[in-house]
Amino acid sequence: MSVGSQPPQTNRIVDEVVVITHEDVDRAYDRVRVSAARAQHGFFSGARLLWLLVGPGVLVMLGENDGPSMLSYAATGAKFGTGFFIPFVALTFCMAIVVQEMTVRLGAATHRGHAELIFDRFGPFWGWFSMIDLAIGNFLTLITEFIAIRAGLGFFGVPPWMAILIALVILYAALMSHRYWTWERITLAAAAFNLVFIPVALMTHPNWHEVDHALITWKPLPGFNKDTLLIVLADIGATVTPWMLFFQQSATVDKGLTTKDIRFGRIDTVLGAALATAAAVATILATAPLFAHQMTADNFQAAEFAQALQPIIGRFGASLFALGMVEAGIVASITISTSSAYAFGEVTHKPHSLNLPMGQGKSFYSVLTLCAVAAAAIVLIPGLPLVYVVLLVNVVAVLAMPPALVFLFMLVNDKEIMGDLVSPLWANVLSTGVVFLLTTAGVLFGISVIAPNIFAALGGK
Amino acid sequence: MARKDEAPFPGSSSKSDQANADQSWVLSSLEHDQLARAKKHFIPRRHLKGPELVVLWGLRIYLLFMMAVVFYQVWTAAR
Repeated sequence: MSVGSQPPQTNRIVDEVVVITHEDVDRAYDRVRVSAARAQHGFFSGARLLWLLVGPGVLVMLGENDGPSMLSYAATGAKFGTGFFIPFVALTFCMAIVVQEMTVRLGAATHRGHAELIFDRFGPFWGWFSMIDLAIGNFLTLITEFIAIRAGLGFFGVPPWMAILIALVILYAALMSHRYWTWERITLAAAAFNLVFIPVALMTHPNWHEVDHALITWKPLPGFNKDTLLIVLADIGATVTPWMLFFQQSATVDKGLTTKDIRFGRIDTVLGAALATAAAVATILATAPLFAHQMTADNFQAAEFAQALQPIIGRFGASLFALGMVEAGIVASITISTSSAYAFGEVTHKPHSLNLPMGQGKSFYSVLTLCAVAAAAIVLIPGLPLVYVVLLVNVVAVLAMPPALVFLFMLVNDKEIMGDLVSPLWANVLSTGVVFLLTTAGVLFGISVIAPNIFAALGGK
Repeated sequence: MARKDEAPFPGSSSKSDQANADQSWVLSSLEHDQLARAKKHFIPRRHLKGPELVVLWGLRIYLLFMMAVVFYQVWTAAR
């Protein structure tokens, strides 16, 4: 690790005895392709460079459009229809861009994962706090992913054990290549299916005039009460969560991005946010007819939403909706368990890369598999009150985000490791605004729980 | 370009010419800090200043308090 005023810009001759690993060879091969594309000029070589460098940003954004997130958007549409929440969700993705862009810079400049940087730079005391937040958040979220998969496939009559088995087989199949590039392309292909919510929304024939009006005026506004606050928090938690920070930085490092690639890393992040926003807004529009028909969807899960929509969009549309939920759960279970495995490897300084063969990456693949299998097994235990986990996982993510963001803020402004790539003033103002907004939302949620009638009293109701 | 990961590694001296060629190919393609071996080195610790510790402890207490609130909500909802 170079610690100086400038992050490494060029290859250097290594004085010590160099041991080239399988991971290095795979990464070098990817970098050669990037260098070859960069050496050429013209539209097609630019497009090829983009194709080679996109990945972590799109994956993290579409990965965060996960089971509980899509359920939050579905609940938002069913409860509030078309209005305030459409521009609000777009705003939350803008917040996600601000936050995730910092991880791209940090990863490209230091070639280190997020957990590793926190441990090394701030010491194990703060490092373990950060890891505990991540581990708890990731595990709870993983449980909800398997709940979404079970519920989505349940719409087609697939028994729970088989649904979970299918998800685990897909997760394992993506890993089998032992190659970051192949894993990324398989997961990207699966993540693209998140856009299935767009045709579902079109089948409901949305009132585009209402959508335009909502985007411009942010109206109609919802009433200010505990339920609205819970949805606000759930929708924020559906776009910015701690695992995203850890995952994108680690994936940026594993992909081998350098400081020359930061511009493409930003494009990747914005592209991912745009696609995820489209899918999220489409989900709100898809379930808005339930609001128009005044259906109560408070405790709906994936299958119930699909069933409720069936009279409006038909069996095919409802099936697409259920499959979208399954996809959301599968992609997120892949990315979140990978994020846990990266973080474990980083803090223990054990090999951690998707380029590792099984023999060299035993601990990495073991942690990844263990996280996924344990979460999947919990979902199969009969009688557990899992509905509370689904409801609160996004809220917990919002609450855990400010401490995680402060570490990110401190690292990305650390001139010793970032050199000239420290955050500019405008980025610091925006990220401070995000921390303030998240903390305020959390405090308001706390007040609404402790004093549930206070908002009604303030509103004169 | 032919795939190179069939090359002998790590750093096999018995197949010296091919190994050296492959090693230099990898080294010229990656920045030094990108090598797996370089990641075994720790980054120097940073001393946290007073205001930074206040913010970190403040947010830690905030998080613990809010998690208690979440548990309280789950408990009341379950009842």
